[in-house]
Amino acid sequence: MATTKFRHVFGGLWGFATSCKKNSSTPIGSRILQRDVEKEEFQYASILCLSKYYSVFVVRLAIMVMLAILIGLLTILTWHFTKIYTTKSLNSLAYDLRYELLQRPILRMWNILNSTSEITMAQVKLSQYVIRSHGNLTTQENQVEQMYEAMRAVTWALFASRKALNSITVKYNNGFVQAFHRDLKDNNTFYIYSDLANYSIGASASSYNSDINYSSLSSQESWNDHDNKSAVWYRQPLDPVTGEKIGKAMQIAPEDSIHIAGLSQVPDGVASWRVVVSKFTDSPLLSAALPVWDASNKSIVAVVGVTTALYSVGQLMKELVELHSGHMYLTSLEGYLLATSTDVPLLTNSTKPPKLKMAVDCENEVIRLGAEYLKKSSGNKFPPSHEVHVANVRLGHDRYYIDSFFLNLKRLPMVGVIIIPRKHILGQEDKRAFKTLVILISASMCIIVIGWVCILILTNGVSKEMKLRAELISQLEARRKAEASSNYKSQFLANMSHELRTPMAAIIGLLDILMSDDCLTNEQCATVTQIRKCSTALLRLLNNILDLSKVESGKLVLEDAEFDLGRELEGLVDMFSVQCMNHSVETVLDLSDDMPKLVRGDSARVVQIFANLINNSIKFTPSGHIILRGWFENPNPCSDNANHLMEEKNLQCAQKTRTRQHENHAKRTSKRDNKAILWFEVDDTGCGIDPSKWDSVFESFEQADPSTTRLHGGTGLGLCIVRSLVNKMGGEIKVVKKEGPGTLMRLYLRLDTAGDATEQHCLVDIANNGLVVLLALHGNMGRSITSKWLQKNGVFTMEASEWNGLTQILRELFHTRNSAGINNDFDLHYPIHESLKSKLLSIQEIKNPVFVIAVDIGLLDLSTDIWKEQLNFLHRYVGRAKFIWVLNHDTSNTIKMELRRKGYMMTVNKPLYKAKIVHILEEVVKERNHEMQKKNMDELHESDYTHCDAASSDDSDISESGPCNPVKSEKVEQFHRLSLYRINNCLIGLTDEHSEANNTPKKEELCQNNQNSPKSLSLEQDYFPREAHQGEDSESRGKEEHRIIGGSARPVNGKKSLEGLRILLAEDTPVIQRVATIMLEKMGASVVAVGDGQAAVDALNGLLGVEDFRRDSNLNERNTRSSSSQTEILSFPSYDLVLMDCQMPKMDGYEATKAIRKSEVGSGVHIPIVALTAHAMSCDEAKCLEVGMDAYLTKPIDFKLMESTILSLTRRTIS
Amino acid sequence: MDVGQMQRQWLDYTRSLFIEGFLDNQFLQLQQLQDENNPEFVVEVVSLFFDDSERLLKDLNFALDQQGVDFKKVDAHVHQLKGSSSSIGAQRVKNACIAFRNFCEEQNVEACLRCLQQVKQEYCLVKNKLETLFRLEQQIVAAGGSIPMMELGF
Repeated sequence: MATTKFRHVFGGLWGFATSCKKNSSTPIGSRILQRDVEKEEFQYASILCLSKYYSVFVVRLAIMVMLAILIGLLTILTWHFTKIYTTKSLNSLAYDLRYELLQRPILRMWNILNSTSEITMAQVKLSQYVIRSHGNLTTQENQVEQMYEAMRAVTWALFASRKALNSITVKYNNGFVQAFHRDLKDNNTFYIYSDLANYSIGASASSYNSDINYSSLSSQESWNDHDNKSAVWYRQPLDPVTGEKIGKAMQIAPEDSIHIAGLSQVPDGVASWRVVVSKFTDSPLLSAALPVWDASNKSIVAVVGVTTALYSVGQLMKELVELHSGHMYLTSLEGYLLATSTDVPLLTNSTKPPKLKMAVDCENEVIRLGAEYLKKSSGNKFPPSHEVHVANVRLGHDRYYIDSFFLNLKRLPMVGVIIIPRKHILGQEDKRAFKTLVILISASMCIIVIGWVCILILTNGVSKEMKLRAELISQLEARRKAEASSNYKSQFLANMSHELRTPMAAIIGLLDILMSDDCLTNEQCATVTQIRKCSTALLRLLNNILDLSKVESGKLVLEDAEFDLGRELEGLVDMFSVQCMNHSVETVLDLSDDMPKLVRGDSARVVQIFANLINNSIKFTPSGHIILRGWFENPNPCSDNANHLMEEKNLQCAQKTRTRQHENHAKRTSKRDNKAILWFEVDDTGCGIDPSKWDSVFESFEQADPSTTRLHGGTGLGLCIVRSLVNKMGGEIKVVKKEGPGTLMRLYLRLDTAGDATEQHCLVDIANNGLVVLLALHGNMGRSITSKWLQKNGVFTMEASEWNGLTQILRELFHTRNSAGINNDFDLHYPIHESLKSKLLSIQEIKNPVFVIAVDIGLLDLSTDIWKEQLNFLHRYVGRAKFIWVLNHDTSNTIKMELRRKGYMMTVNKPLYKAKIVHILEEVVKERNHEMQKKNMDELHESDYTHCDAASSDDSDISESGPCNPVKSEKVEQFHRLSLYRINNCLIGLTDEHSEANNTPKKEELCQNNQNSPKSLSLEQDYFPREAHQGEDSESRGKEEHRIIGGSARPVNGKKSLEGLRILLAEDTPVIQRVATIMLEKMGASVVAVGDGQAAVDALNGLLGVEDFRRDSNLNERNTRSSSSQTEILSFPSYDLVLMDCQMPKMDGYEATKAIRKSEVGSGVHIPIVALTAHAMSCDEAKCLEVGMDAYLTKPIDFKLMESTILSLTRRTIS
Repeated sequence: MDVGQMQRQWLDYTRSLFIEGFLDNQFLQLQQLQDENNPEFVVEVVSLFFDDSERLLKDLNFALDQQGVDFKKVDAHVHQLKGSSSSIGAQRVKNACIAFRNFCEEQNVEACLRCLQQVKQEYCLVKNKLETLFRLEQQIVAAGGSIPMMELGF
């Protein structure tokens, strides 16, 4: 039963679980459907997910089932133990109880039997005694009566003593009957006796005596006959206690009310037991009979019968089982009921005389059923000593215990049966067991459910984790892919930038060629210079793209070379100003004077930083200005200049000082290693950056406003590169709060200053020359900064921002000076400012002022032709002031021509930064000094040539180009030279044709003049050793060439394969050069060998010859520059083939080839170029062919291969 | 010493150089290039090689001694050395250079230094061998003999 239950429960659980599974699998299914739509790459992950889900569910199910089984087992075990053990113990108890219960009525029965027999025995003994004592007197009438009396008394005594007795009868052999009868129902006691008169003692005695030897049967018969025939019996009620006769004796029919035991009942003269049924009582009686023997023990005198009602046994049984509501009955061996615990009649009333009922006929249903059960179970033959104990018998509707006991009495074996309803004993227990089971099952169900919930919750966590893990896996996958793609990207970038770099390098090379051309005008030269700068910047950018990966992976190695920071930044501003002007944005460079001129570091990176920053600013600044400020933080701030600067800067932004104080510790650390902290600011008036983005703009691919990508383009990488570079240089960058609109980026760099040559500018010398500068410039910011700076350096400045202002100031300056009050009406229109007035006043105090007027070409009205008139107007002042024209890069040529026509030599391109101003002013001062000199010369006619300054020999360029001025070693002289140098080298677009044209011949003249002066000699010596040194450098080469030429000139015998070919060999390694030369010569070719690509290009362009043969001539005969050799060289035939090494200094083979091919464009010439390379890889071959080479030879050079290659190429060209 | 003996010695020595891998076919080519027009061609080229190599090795030493090694420069030097050594057929120097360049690409300073030592060693070896060879030649020429032609089946 338990198993089926369990199975049922389990089945239920299974069903639940499967339903769970179904429920949970449906969303998965839908998910699958969803995912089917999704991209393929996620399918793998989803499958993984699904399998995970399934495994989770399986595990979950397994855990649930296990839990269920466990709890089920526990429940069943608990139930089993509680139930079975209780039942067992109860059963044993119940058995004991039943046994006990049954034992007692049996004992009572036994007692009854015993007492009956005892009474019978006692009666017999007493009767014997009485009879014997009266035996002699039998004949005597009275004595007989006495004897009867005595017997009666004795019998009464016995009868009275035993209340349970039903009757005692004495039947004498003469037929006289004496009996006491107790009616138990109404508690009456009767004395029954027969009529004495009818009996003769003697007769009976005689018959008795005579019949002494009779068989008991015959005597009995005779007695019975006698009795039946003529007996008159009386019944007399007695007082039950005293035995007094209380009523009249009534005649009754013999045997009417009482059963008298006769001789028939003692057939063999021994005591007999039997159950009799009396018609007076409804219960069976136990009767015992004993014969009374005479004295001689030979004959029976009387028979004593004692009957006891079994009623009391029944009562007892009733009492016993009443408590247990059970039933109990005694049957004879044959099955007749002797006593029951119920009140049902034991006798059948239907028959006469009444007979005992069989147990199976009992009216009580339980008893009857029990008896039937017993009969059925053991058959009719009820075995002796067979005891039945059945615990669970179904009788009718209830279950019963049935126990039977066998009571083996002599002559009266009896069977006792007890039937107790099971309910009574185990009823509670059964109920309890059921309840326990129910409780247990419900409890276990609860536990299972809770357990499942727990498992669900727990495994839910697990499955969530699995989900997360799967997601993580897919994320990782995606990340890997992204990384791979970014890798591809960077690879692509690297490749692309490489491809871009190559043409850029060509462009730059060509520009170099262009610049080296003499026939360019200065404007063209400036433009080309600008182009070259931009190209260089572009190339740098490309390089930076390549290096970006390096920066990000931290592999970037910064160069450590000396460079001129100021010049780099000026170049940068130049570059950007072109871009800015289109935006109408002013670019201003504001470097403090104490900036170290030379610093050590990576110039390209520094420039990149600022290029990025300024580029950024330009992007977001539609109008206004961009200022690049720079100042130097001296590690030991004792210098006056720094303090001065600090004061000035304090006015501008107070927080700067604070930052500076914050950086004090940095200062200390920088002291150690001679590092200077250079502060820079890039200040623009653009849209600005939201303060919340101040940090994030430096992240890669981060822009302050994502929409700017559409507007301005860009990747958001610029600032990231800047930050990483700045950090790399030991600095920091951040966005700083700024007053007004725009962004202020502040950064500092830690750069090595080159020694402690914080070169103090010679600006101090500009001052005190009586310079008055009128700045008529458009840009407010640049103008004010320049003016401030000039004033600080002791130059008097005035500012004008528009044409009217300019004219006014001019008028004030010159007209008031010369003739006051000519144009008073004009003054009325334009009243002079107080400040201007005071300035004018102070100017008037300057002795011998030099006016310098810097005019922005933008101030003129260029849209119409008014500018010519304006120019004419200004031209009036030309004698009184120096004009400097500030041109835009897009200033038209007509204006330039006009300016040149009018004799304005000083033009300068925007932006106007310090270095340019310095040059201009120096130029002005120099010119003035020249004029003064001329005057002086004219006056003196005498000149003392002294040595030039020691300072002048510092710079070889100066000494080379600078004239030995016949002037005293004054500062003025120094200026002159410096300015010359600057003009020649600075590429500021400052056109000074006039002075140059003037100076050069003068210089030569002077040199010639001073031929015999010691100084000039020293210069010559200085000059020639350098040449000689150069020569020594390539002396061997020179020798070789010399020999080659000789070799080629020598007549050769026999036909050589390469006879007559002229081959140019470009190879830097001397060994290979030599080997290849010999090889080629062996083949009959004439070879010219050069050491680098540039030389090769030059050689092809006919330039090499000049240089080389100049060198040759130097070697041979230094002094004479034979024009014949030059002409010889110039008449050199062109080369038939070029052998080009790929890796060479200065210009490598690829670049050289490209340059050559470039120069061939348009001319229709194609000179075969054979690459010589040690890179034995196909990609190199491809590269070689790509740049325009025709063939490819690997080192070491194979004689035959080279020959065949050259032959195939030359033949082709010939044909 | 007998001229024939010396010539045999020379041949043996040259052969051993080839067998030991100090020289390769390129050296033979050089020898073939030498004729009456350039009687000292081989010696000249080889001494050029010595000078060049010594300069390059010095440069390499210097370049690798520096704090931040400029590998491009080092690589260029090694490349040159490789080119010149292969041109005269100094095979073992060339091979050492090839290994050196690989480490240059890896920017491995220690390995580069190791390689430099190796290259130096190889260079010294080949220099000694060649000098011995040339001494032998000079002796032969001084004794009035001629340099035998190598007929090596490499």
